[in-house]
Amino acid sequence: MKKTIQIPLGSQHISLLEPIRFKFECENEKIIGVDADVGFVHRGVELACTRSFEFKQVGYVVARVCGLCAITHSLSYTLAVEKLLGYVANDRIKYLRMLMVELDRIHSHMLCLAHTAENAGFEALFMQIMGDRELIMDVQEAISGNRVQFDYISIGGVNRDLTPELVAMIHKNLGVLTSKIDALIGLFDNNWSLSLKYKGVGVLRLEDAYTYNALGPLARAAGLATDVRAETSDFPYEDIGYKMILESSGDIHARNFLRLREIVNSITMCQNIVNNLPVGEIQEKAKGKPNGEAVVRVEAPRGELFYLVRGSGQNMLDRVRIKTPTFSAIPAMIEVFKGAEYADAPAILASFDPCMSCTAK
Amino acid sequence: MFKSMLEAFLNLFRPIRTLKYPAEEIVLPSGYRGLIEYGIDACIFCDKCEKVCPPGAILFYQNEDGTKTYRYNPWLCIYCGECVRACPKPEEALWQSETKQLSALKEEGANEGWFVWEEACKQSREAYATAKKSAKIQNKSEE
Repeated sequence: MKKTIQIPLGSQHISLLEPIRFKFECENEKIIGVDADVGFVHRGVELACTRSFEFKQVGYVVARVCGLCAITHSLSYTLAVEKLLGYVANDRIKYLRMLMVELDRIHSHMLCLAHTAENAGFEALFMQIMGDRELIMDVQEAISGNRVQFDYISIGGVNRDLTPELVAMIHKNLGVLTSKIDALIGLFDNNWSLSLKYKGVGVLRLEDAYTYNALGPLARAAGLATDVRAETSDFPYEDIGYKMILESSGDIHARNFLRLREIVNSITMCQNIVNNLPVGEIQEKAKGKPNGEAVVRVEAPRGELFYLVRGSGQNMLDRVRIKTPTFSAIPAMIEVFKGAEYADAPAILASFDPCMSCTAK
Repeated sequence: MFKSMLEAFLNLFRPIRTLKYPAEEIVLPSGYRGLIEYGIDACIFCDKCEKVCPPGAILFYQNEDGTKTYRYNPWLCIYCGECVRACPKPEEALWQSETKQLSALKEEGANEGWFVWEEACKQSREAYATAKKSAKIQNKSEE
């Protein structure tokens, strides 16, 4: 007789934000086998980029791959095209782009923290973190003119400049957020009921992180030092106070804590950017048409985002390949589920911060 | 735990976090990216805005007498402002306002009406091109 039972999670489930299906092979309450299916929201973005839109318009198309890391997608694509055009942005453009990416990281991490709290059964904390997240959303809306779809980065520069009022607003909101994050760090560290749900649950060991090619916060929480911001030289991250943050235990608590500490680091970076903004033009001419092949890696909130762009001197591109962080992290995710309790699965899943609309694109 | 209880008690006396939305208006930040507006007097009909628009929300209809008619779909527009940056006469011919577009009603035909218009624009251009071509041939033969 068969000793295991199959329990599905998804594709529609109360704890999921987006459609993903896991089939858990369970022995009593323990998960021993996992099967994942992610392609529920395929929209054909890659094909549309090469068939329906010219290369100057594609930046606005790929921004619609994901609602949370819209700015990272358009930035990666723009960097790839600028490499093909042989254009190097000036320091002011680089700093403004970094500012938006770091603000994006802050609010994306806060969303993840909120959902991990919700899936562990702490709904009041979810409300509180989502309320605090509005501080960053307001700043992004004021800078770019829109709340979710920023359309801030274009080929050859950025679309809007910082005004003195905006700088004052950034300082004010980041200052308020710093005290709130400090309170959250205390809460995540000391709250007894949260520690029951988080500590020692969903552990990814360092050797597994190596073997299954984990990336982003998932890998750094296990102690694997991998961060595209430190590995590439597209942006001067060292100048603005970037620090590689590592945790060692690899459980949900470590991932939450890593995200909180990364938020603190990102706030410092944003303040440094605004204080040391170089002088220069925000929009320059990048002439020509993309010819050749370029590969770009950018650290999205969830890990490494990879773009390949190939053009042949035409207005239409030949190929746009997008490899998103969640897609690369699936083998590691499956490994974490093995050996966990079924009841912990939603909280573990939320702690990965999976982005399905990115993955299926 | 005692700290959390103290927090919970103090929250009774703190101001509420949520907005009273329908009763109070939400204030949009200045520089909000709203609808694209058009001034026919300054337009030179270079079609640059139509060419750069990512979703194709600006279309020009070619009239038979050589003039063009501008039409804009506010529900298709993504408010990116590429058209304003491409315009040779920004602020006079094409500019971005801070007005927010409301959702479309069925009578407004946000989709169906626009598909008809797209087809009409395409046909008007083809018809104009053929008419011009035939006129050229006629002129040559007369000479």
